[in-house]
Amino acid sequence: MAGSPEAAEEAEQGPEQGSEPPAGSAVRRGKRAAPAAAAPQPAKLSRAELYRPPTSEELTQLKETEDLFHSSLLRLQIEELLKEVTLKEKKKKKIDSFLHEINNLLSAIPETPETELTDQAWLSEDVKVPFLQVPFSVKGRFRFVPPAELKVVGSYLLGTCVRPEINVDIAVTMPREIFQDKDNLNQRYHRKRALYLSHIAQHLSKEKLFGSVKFAYMNSNHLKPILLLRPQGKDEKIVTVRLHACPDSDLFKPSRFYPSKNNVRTAWFMEQSTPKEGTTEPPTPHYNNSILCDTVMLSHLHFLSNAATDFPGMKDGLALLKVWLNQRQLSKGLGCFSGFLVSMLVAYLLMKRKIVKMMSGYQVLRSTLQFLATTDLSVTGISLAKDADPSLPVLDDFHQAFEVVFVDPSGLVNLCADMTASKYHQVQFEAKRSMEILDDRMVDGFQALLMTPKPMLRTFDHIFHLKHVSKLQGTCKKMQLLNELMDWGGNYVAAALPFVVSLLARGLSQRAQLVAHSLPQIPEWPIDAEPPKHKDVGPLTFGLLFVPEFAASTLEKGPQADHPEALEFRTFWGEKSELRRFQDGSICEAVVWEASTACQKRLIPEQIIRHLLKLHADIPESSICYTGALLESVIRTGKEAGGTGEEAMVSVVCSYDDLSRKLWNLKELPLTVTAVQGVHPALRYTDVFPPIPMKPIYSFHNRSKHFLLPSEEKPCPAYITPLKIICHMEGSGQWPQDKGAIKRIKAAFHLQLAELLRQQHQLVCRPAVTHTDVYKDGYVFRLQVAYHREPLILKEVVTPEGMLKYQDTEESRQLELETLHLPYLTSSLHGLQQQHPVFGSTSRLAKRWISAQLLSDSISEECVDLLVAFLFLHSAPFTPPSSPQVGFLRFLNLLATFDWKNNPLIVNLNTGLTDSDCTEIKNKFVAARSRLPVMFLATPKDQWSSMWTRERPSAQILQRLVLLASESLRALEEQLMDPLSDQDVKMVFRPPLDFYDVLIHLNPNQIPRLLESVDRPVKSVCRGVVKNSSAMNILFPVVDYDPVQLYLQELRNAFDDLALFFYDKHGGEVIAVLWKPLSFQPQPFKVSSMRGRKVTTLNNELVCIPNVEAILEDFEILGEGLVKSVEARTEKWTI
Amino acid sequence: MAAATGCAAGAVPAGYTALAVKFAERQHSHHCLLVKEHQVREGADTAHPPRRTLFVLNVPPYCGPDSLSRLFSRCGHVQSVDICDKPGPGEKKDKLASKFFDHKTLKGFQVAYVVFRKPAAVQAAKALSQEGPLLISTESHPVKTGISKWIASYEASIVDPKELKAEVDAYMEDYDKKVAEEKAKAATEEGVPDEEGWVKVTRKGRKPGLPRTEAANLRVLEKEKQKRARKELLNFYAWQHRETKREHIAQLRKKFEEDKQRIALMRAQRKFRPY
Repeated sequence: MAGSPEAAEEAEQGPEQGSEPPAGSAVRRGKRAAPAAAAPQPAKLSRAELYRPPTSEELTQLKETEDLFHSSLLRLQIEELLKEVTLKEKKKKKIDSFLHEINNLLSAIPETPETELTDQAWLSEDVKVPFLQVPFSVKGRFRFVPPAELKVVGSYLLGTCVRPEINVDIAVTMPREIFQDKDNLNQRYHRKRALYLSHIAQHLSKEKLFGSVKFAYMNSNHLKPILLLRPQGKDEKIVTVRLHACPDSDLFKPSRFYPSKNNVRTAWFMEQSTPKEGTTEPPTPHYNNSILCDTVMLSHLHFLSNAATDFPGMKDGLALLKVWLNQRQLSKGLGCFSGFLVSMLVAYLLMKRKIVKMMSGYQVLRSTLQFLATTDLSVTGISLAKDADPSLPVLDDFHQAFEVVFVDPSGLVNLCADMTASKYHQVQFEAKRSMEILDDRMVDGFQALLMTPKPMLRTFDHIFHLKHVSKLQGTCKKMQLLNELMDWGGNYVAAALPFVVSLLARGLSQRAQLVAHSLPQIPEWPIDAEPPKHKDVGPLTFGLLFVPEFAASTLEKGPQADHPEALEFRTFWGEKSELRRFQDGSICEAVVWEASTACQKRLIPEQIIRHLLKLHADIPESSICYTGALLESVIRTGKEAGGTGEEAMVSVVCSYDDLSRKLWNLKELPLTVTAVQGVHPALRYTDVFPPIPMKPIYSFHNRSKHFLLPSEEKPCPAYITPLKIICHMEGSGQWPQDKGAIKRIKAAFHLQLAELLRQQHQLVCRPAVTHTDVYKDGYVFRLQVAYHREPLILKEVVTPEGMLKYQDTEESRQLELETLHLPYLTSSLHGLQQQHPVFGSTSRLAKRWISAQLLSDSISEECVDLLVAFLFLHSAPFTPPSSPQVGFLRFLNLLATFDWKNNPLIVNLNTGLTDSDCTEIKNKFVAARSRLPVMFLATPKDQWSSMWTRERPSAQILQRLVLLASESLRALEEQLMDPLSDQDVKMVFRPPLDFYDVLIHLNPNQIPRLLESVDRPVKSVCRGVVKNSSAMNILFPVVDYDPVQLYLQELRNAFDDLALFFYDKHGGEVIAVLWKPLSFQPQPFKVSSMRGRKVTTLNNELVCIPNVEAILEDFEILGEGLVKSVEARTEKWTI
Repeated sequence: MAAATGCAAGAVPAGYTALAVKFAERQHSHHCLLVKEHQVREGADTAHPPRRTLFVLNVPPYCGPDSLSRLFSRCGHVQSVDICDKPGPGEKKDKLASKFFDHKTLKGFQVAYVVFRKPAAVQAAKALSQEGPLLISTESHPVKTGISKWIASYEASIVDPKELKAEVDAYMEDYDKKVAEEKAKAATEEGVPDEEGWVKVTRKGRKPGLPRTEAANLRVLEKEKQKRARKELLNFYAWQHRETKREHIAQLRKKFEEDKQRIALMRAQRKFRPY
């Protein structure tokens, strides 16, 4: 809790008084700054302004912002947010006059004669009763009498309603005379209420005043219909007036509605003529609560307005809390944590003195979150009732009847009656996470807490849908939930949901830290339509948040066989449970799930869910749509459905470790090897398709001495990636200090390494000038020798005064990148993978997507790796992803929403940056923005230069990436959230091609990586390799030979200034070409700019234009044998 | 050959002649080589003697020196063909140029200098514009492109270890000799004053001087600064106290001002809408 009351007082007074003069200047400054928003300038104050003597108010204010908020930024941001969400005065006036007119209209509605409840003929045809009247027959009589009282209740009066949805609640008190005795029984009250509203609706629908008159269920509880009124015309969006019909507060005797009482008779509900003898009627707590709610509406209003008097911080705090709940999708639907509930909670904290009236909005938010984070209302309920009336039910009675308990001031109503324990735990979890974020100075708490939406898809590691909720009827039957069904008025979704969720929570108790469900929501409907049925809530969505350590374990160990709990375990798991003997000698009940690869292991929760729901809830597998791993098919390796390459990666790393040991221990090398460092993405687990051990078939290739060569007659051999390894040699005086000589010595080392590896370890090698290729275990490693002083020698410049200076050159920078920075990055990310096992797969999905969009050559792989690392290291407000799919969705979101222009992306690898480092980076970034790359990544070892994005991507490519990411994200989320459509998630991996000018179609036989394409080819071609790692090999396979890449390089060399070339390096069959519009403008003749152009006359002037026809033919000539056809798509280049 | 004449007879920059050229018979369109007699403004370009040298612009990527030499051989004996990235004086062929270490890969469209034995050939080459497009790849002299070219270059990339080793050894021997010579020269000059009487101080010997590098200079400056800072007394006088307090408030104000500015920027981008 923040500080003493004194501090809080200052907090309150600070902004109003102290900040007057600076605030004024800020506005002016702000106005000036706004047009110049394109180029942010660092703030500058004159010396006089900085050092003028402070007033005492200013002092307190400065001090307070320093202590309370991490920076004044947060405070200013909150002020801005509040301005944005609160209702404007002007609109308030409009709303007030609208309410006034409603008031007049309502009192003028005519009476109706009394009829039986079931006789609804008096109601006109265009209004349907907004109530599911099942069973239909019920006793009781109804007539309409104009309301006894109309009163605005709820957030509008308290001034705590927040945009965008402004609701004004009006309690319409139904006069006493329309009620009879026993109206509390068998939904009679509810039906009268519904009829009352339908009569009002019938009359109001004729009025011109309203833009729309509709029904809805209050918080989607079908027992409680309400009438929605919206003003006419352009004001329709401003406000929704919700009419709640309610009885006089003392109409019913409260004792009838204690949680243990029954008010729905079994015989009536089951439509039996006579009640069964001797059975006791079950309690109907939810039913009772729904009536009680209506009786206490006015008193709640009084209670809240008492709390809110002299407490300006409450209004702000509630607005913030509501925004917080909205962003987490917790505030709508059946059993939601509504705005009203949170207001009552703040009032409770005020009563308990955990909040005092001097607190500011931010402090209210913090205290409330703190309370939520530490209190479990599903175990220890709270009550607002002041003096304990001994006749009233106690908290324990409520706990018996409800999952979550928060009793109102009257001591009768449970405000959290509809909420499931799981939902409350989710709120609690979010509050905990939010408190962590607020306490972490490195995170922008404002952005994470209040501005970032958390839809289920991006929040939870796995998501699954219950396609047809009608299947829950079967669940009710199977679980014998007749009493609950009666209590819920036949709403089988609400009745079964808590049981289903707790079933899943029990089954996944080790694996999941949170099992959450979406809140059933029923949209509003026009008054002439039948009210929506229970099944109209649409598919239910469940979200799982995993404990990464246990989520994928294959074993569920139960109690020892002879223990009494064993029986319970067996009934819970059914046939899957079996006796097993463990290593420690114990014999236990256990469930073992079948999964061999990492990808299958990640889906063990799916197996569990399907099994449990089938066994206990009678939900067939076909109604479950599990979307946990739909995307992973695009990174599957090989033809078989097995793994997604994690295992392949591990075996590569093993082979690499072995090789590096061998290198360290090589004898007879003139200098020793000091370090062996991998730089290939496979060695940090982020290679999209990790290499697979291969053995070439000799007959498929041509030969030259000890080496195999590709053959012209055969299809292109399979692509074998060289896995690059940097081999640092000991520094020594024997190294020459001249760049030419160093190059030669390195070549000599490559030769010698090859020779020694062959002699001492029988490895087949292929030495070259810049590297040595080693064929080992079916992989090819590319060794490159490095000397640590070489970059320095390349940098050496001697100034005219004879001073030795070091200056970056292109060559030295490249060498440093390769031998210094890339190995470091690789080892850091390797470490990250050890902490977060799905980091690699997420990064691979991300890269696969980028390459599928033909942009893999436009952005460096390291840059994508770092972006993905950011998601894991700075996951706020989420938790670090535990499944590749959610990681990928967040990657798309990051790409689409991050403000690259105004912010650096700081990736705090190995937590190497402190708070002040980050601030410094941000400030320097702002000052030097125009000179920095469009996408700026800062890491602890690379704070100022953003080396991985220096050349790529360009501004245009980044813009395109952002656009593609947001489109892909939208399409993907739509598909993943709609289980009823046929989900073709590969859609976002098929690039739109209509945007390009020329398409070069390639001959599939000559594409070595064809098998990696998103839509696998049906026919496969022999690529001259067999999978094998053991066999000794004498002939060296074809390495790093990809005709398409060679072709692309030639194209780019030749036509770089005329066109951009895009290609999906993972088996794409088309190269897309985009002409550069600038180079298609006629240019005057210049010797240096004649490349590929022809000269013509335009307006009697000699100009150069691209020789398009010849260039198109050049495309074919350069790719002889590879190009199938060149398709010119548009006539854009006609000049 | 309407297109060909269009290229040849059409617009041509002053001094140039356009020659249509295409890859093989199969192709429909052609590139235009712009040729002119090579002229040197000043100094003698020994590699490309004037009057005998034809300057060729816009040479397509698949047209190597061999093809060019074949194309122009019908105008007269071609002495040498020099293809380079952009126009410039011909470099002396380095005698140390090695097969392994000084790769020069040609990229895209090039310029070329074709040196004939006789000046007359240059004029003859210009006259080629009257004929149909020249063919780069013919049946008798096919030019490899695409798959066959890449396979060939893959084959060429395989290094013969013995040859490479021999070359490296030879180079290093030279280098060692050179280094030894320099050392010997330095040793003889050690401590010997030059004609004006100055003695060069080196890092060797009994009293090594500071290395003349930028880093060393910076290090010295840094040390001086530290020394000065150590001597200074902080929080000793009352005015120092006052100063630090003032400084602190100024810092806070500055931060506040920066934050306000950032807010204004964010407001301008409408970043405060939580929906």
